[in-house]
Amino acid sequence: MSNGGERREKVGAALVVGGGIGGMQAALDLADAGIKVYLVESKPAIGGVMSQLDKTFPTNDCAMCTMAPRLVAIGRHKDIEVLTLTEVERIEGEPGNFTVTLRRRARFVDENVCTGCGSCVANCPVRFIPQPLDSIPPVKLAPEVQARVDQIIAEHRNRPGPLMPILQSINAVYNYFPEDVLRYVSQQLGIPLTHILRVATFYNAFSIVPRGKYIINVCMGTTCYVRGSERLMERFSDTLKIKPEETTPDMLFTLKAVRCIGCCGLAPAVMIGDTVYGKLTVKEIPGIIKKFQGANGHGQAHTG
Amino acid sequence: MAARRIELMLCTGTGCVAGGAFRIKKVLEEEIARHGLQSEISIVPTGCNGFCGQGPLLVVMPEKIFYGWLKTEDIPFLVQEHFLKGRPVKKLMFTPPERKEPIPLLSDIPFFKKQMLIVLRNKGIIDPEKIDDYIARDGYAALEKVLTSMTPEEVIEEIIKSGLRGRGGAGFPTGIKWKVCRNEPKTPKYVICNCDEGDPGAYMDRSVLESDPHSVIEGQTIAAYAIGASHGYIYVRTEYPLAIKRMQKAIEQAREYGLLGENILGTGFSFDLEIREGSGAFVCGEETSLIHSIEGKSPEPRQRPPFPAQVGIWGCPTVINNVETLATVPVIINRGAEWFSKIGTETSKGTKIFSLVGKINNTGLIEVPMGITLREIIYEIGGGIPGNRKFKAVQTGGPSGGCIPASLIDLPIDYESLTQAGSMMGSGGMIVMDEDTCMVDVAKFFIQFTNDESCGKCTTCRDGSAALLEVLTRITDGEGQEGDIEFLEELAWAIKDASMCGLGTTLPNPVLTTIRYFREEYEAHIREKRCPAKVCKNLIAYWIDPQLCQACLICKRECPAEAIYGEKHIVHVIDQSKCTKCGTCLEVCPPRFGAVKKLSGEPVPPVERGMKVERKKKTATPLQEQSSA
Amino acid sequence: MAKLTLDELRRRREQARKSIYLRDGEFRGKVIVHMGTCGIAAGARAIVATFLEELEKSGRTDILVTTSGCAGLCSKEPMATVEMLDSPPVKYVLLTPEKVRRIFAEHILGGVAVAEYALGIGSERAG
Ligand SMILES: Cc1cc2nc3c(=O)[nH]c(=O)nc-3n(C[C@H](O)[C@H](O)[C@H](O)COP(=O)(O)O)c2cc1C
Ligand code: SF4
Ligand code: SF4
Ligand code: SF4
Ligand code: FES
Ligand code: FES
Repeated sequence: MSNGGERREKVGAALVVGGGIGGMQAALDLADAGIKVYLVESKPAIGGVMSQLDKTFPTNDCAMCTMAPRLVAIGRHKDIEVLTLTEVERIEGEPGNFTVTLRRRARFVDENVCTGCGSCVANCPVRFIPQPLDSIPPVKLAPEVQARVDQIIAEHRNRPGPLMPILQSINAVYNYFPEDVLRYVSQQLGIPLTHILRVATFYNAFSIVPRGKYIINVCMGTTCYVRGSERLMERFSDTLKIKPEETTPDMLFTLKAVRCIGCCGLAPAVMIGDTVYGKLTVKEIPGIIKKFQGANGHGQAHTG
Repeated sequence: MAARRIELMLCTGTGCVAGGAFRIKKVLEEEIARHGLQSEISIVPTGCNGFCGQGPLLVVMPEKIFYGWLKTEDIPFLVQEHFLKGRPVKKLMFTPPERKEPIPLLSDIPFFKKQMLIVLRNKGIIDPEKIDDYIARDGYAALEKVLTSMTPEEVIEEIIKSGLRGRGGAGFPTGIKWKVCRNEPKTPKYVICNCDEGDPGAYMDRSVLESDPHSVIEGQTIAAYAIGASHGYIYVRTEYPLAIKRMQKAIEQAREYGLLGENILGTGFSFDLEIREGSGAFVCGEETSLIHSIEGKSPEPRQRPPFPAQVGIWGCPTVINNVETLATVPVIINRGAEWFSKIGTETSKGTKIFSLVGKINNTGLIEVPMGITLREIIYEIGGGIPGNRKFKAVQTGGPSGGCIPASLIDLPIDYESLTQAGSMMGSGGMIVMDEDTCMVDVAKFFIQFTNDESCGKCTTCRDGSAALLEVLTRITDGEGQEGDIEFLEELAWAIKDASMCGLGTTLPNPVLTTIRYFREEYEAHIREKRCPAKVCKNLIAYWIDPQLCQACLICKRECPAEAIYGEKHIVHVIDQSKCTKCGTCLEVCPPRFGAVKKLSGEPVPPVERGMKVERKKKTATPLQEQSSA
Repeated sequence: MAKLTLDELRRRREQARKSIYLRDGEFRGKVIVHMGTCGIAAGARAIVATFLEELEKSGRTDILVTTSGCAGLCSKEPMATVEMLDSPPVKYVLLTPEKVRRIFAEHILGGVAVAEYALGIGSERAG
């Protein structure tokens, strides 16, 4: 970048990308320091998300009250040029002297004449432009996987709200969601993958990374916590050398905190598979782990 | 069914199953067969009996003798002595800690005495997988009455008159909710039963579903008739596999009997039910979030109004009620609103189930009339605090509730008093805390929970809980600063004001109540760097009292960090720089020595290594076998 | 099974009540068969079975059959005590299934104790 303190010629102008509250403040500060500012915003108007907010956190100040004076100041500032409906295409040069290529989209409205009455919005005949989806090639699954998933989909697809039951069934089979299975479900149901992911990542019982054969659910509900379940968790964690939510390299165990398994009378409680261990003490933990390892000829990886 | 002389009501609720109830059942069957008693004695698997702390347990009918903490080894003796020869076995009966004599009869045990069973009327008496057992105890009589002799409006009137309020937390009058929904012109309409029960420490809804699923089906069908719905959902959290299984079976049986489905009991009314499972998200208990979850949408809550009773699932008017609310309905219809409204207080009618857990002698589920005092619950039903520790506080209402201090022990339990005390009825968790519970740590625990479970839609809830957590963690780590308490309070109110759903608006309650009632504990953490309850790891140290240590080597063997120095006849010493404060040594040091201590807020007294053990004289204490380990 | 009508539901409830009467019935009478080792050796098991058989035949749901330990009169086993509400308990000795049938019919159903099999009337402590 710079060659030892050697100074090049500097241009006395700055470009701020994004006209949200941050960009607005930056533009004002720069302009107040005597620098010419170009404020670029891709939307038809500056203001960003804050203009849609009622209050701001954590001070509960009114959003418009914070923003309006800045809007006015920018509009009036002789050194700020606002470029709306504009995006940055290319930046060349080096610090101190950049050349920026911008693309301005047509507004089709003469800003100097428009009064903002909104009639054009109400009268525009085009409401909805569907996005064509056919460009994505169909997902291919291994035949036995596809048969399984097809069966699950067929079972639920005609109920109202099929997504959750389908995801639950897939989770029951794989213990997690293989990515291509989710893609396949998305295409079969015509539900966007982003939506499926949003649901799949919302719930504690789901995972999008593979999990161990045995999920060790350490109850971190109130009762168990008060009765010392945090120490159980630490001991599992130390013994297995994994942190909560992680899986052992041999894919045998996943350690997980759950919130109350409804055995509060037996607190502290741990559930592994369908077995509940009640009134557990740290001393018993190594033995329990051994038991599960033993039942599996330790080290056998879980395929699925 | 053939006449029998004994029925064994064996609890097969989740708690007792975890304790081995099915193994007990198998041995019982074998032993009964061995004595050829099959035709005289039958085993009835029931739902949760309530006294889960004593599980696995069984009640012998008709005498109603209660046996707890059963082990498979006890069974052969029990069968021979009691069931064959008719001599009840004392050593398997319940003995309260402060007494010597066991109490044979269920009805004499203080835990059961003060209870009043309405929702749990059938617990431990019927086999939840047999619809006939439910029918025998006036099951589906309320549905019969409603379908043959009441108009939907009359049903709604009756529920309004009874004063029944929702048991899911907020306590909204159930009849009014139904009326709003009935008056919506749009059809179809739906009824949803909320069994998401995310409140950690409460499990009454699970228990109702497991021990008496038909009472929920009947209640829900009556609700459907009242509002004019023909379809319903039961939303059960996935952590309750047994409840789901029993409910599924119950629905199938009800369909078979024509109590669900087309043209119920030939009256022309049709209604059917379907189970939907949750997948482990606390916020899905919130009604709008629950609806989104069933619909397969992203399950964040939405702004209300419109309330679900106006615009609910699939955009149609929907009544959402809690399990307990619905299970109360048949009893109100059968026995009348007037009878029901005589129970409880002016504003809170009827009974409520609480799960009495934590540091309490008698753990389990209790159903008590509203207005009962905390004192009665904790000392009479709960049998006090174990180990002669001091009662400090009780947490009600889960993550939305707060901690009620020992000084308010005479507080009557109803919706209003709890709210005034800064807490909430919530779903009915009652977690008892003794002097070994650190209130700052408890507040931190709940904020950790709500921070995890916040759906993230509102900044105040998402980031506000994170900010609370950061400060609380700092305090428990011993890095609290002056002004932290005030900051917590200010932030808490902002979160309360600006969050959208109940999770956000109530999440500061645990912090606010602990500050309100236990401010001095916060101050001790911040100013003296001391945790009075000796819980917060950064503020405590483990130390072996050289006067008490008998060099038994146990702690040294068990310490996972190899932080204990010692050998035979030499006093053991903990290397503070290696100790990870796991607490194992305290747990394993034999109680008769009790040499390991927790210190907080004081320097660890130095102990010289290699000190000889001071043997206690044999005349002083009868400890002959010491150090022989 | 076929779907129920209202009447069928009511009938079913009556029937079902009988099957769970041990759990929440009201009892008018109680038969206690003494089942010490001596009693069992003398055939007390058959006595219990006969009482249960008769009970089932009668369809009554207000009578209990239970057992208790040795009564201390081993030479007179098998024995049973019949306690009906509002009348003193009666101890019957040296029982056989035939005797049991008669006791059931006359004493339990009929309300008149069978004096010739009885050891003593009213000499037994209650329950
Ligand atoms: C975060 C949150 C969690 C909730 N969890 C539950 C729950 O687990 N069970 C429940 O019945 N109600 C829960 N509710 C209350 C429901 O939104 C709703 O008020 C209730 O189911 C209505 O039934 P009710 O009128 O019978 O009480 C929760 C509310 C919130 C805000
Ligand atoms: S308050 Fe919290 S949980 Fe509720 S909607 Fe807002 S972010 Fe989600
Ligand atoms: S607290 Fe844990 S690490 Fe520390 S000395 Fe005791 S056993 Fe060892
Ligand atoms: S367990 Fe207790 S008595 Fe034994 S060596 Fe350790 S501190 Fe001493
Ligand atoms: S809190 Fe752990 S089982 Fe309920
Ligand atoms: S599960 Fe058996 S008493 Fe609760």
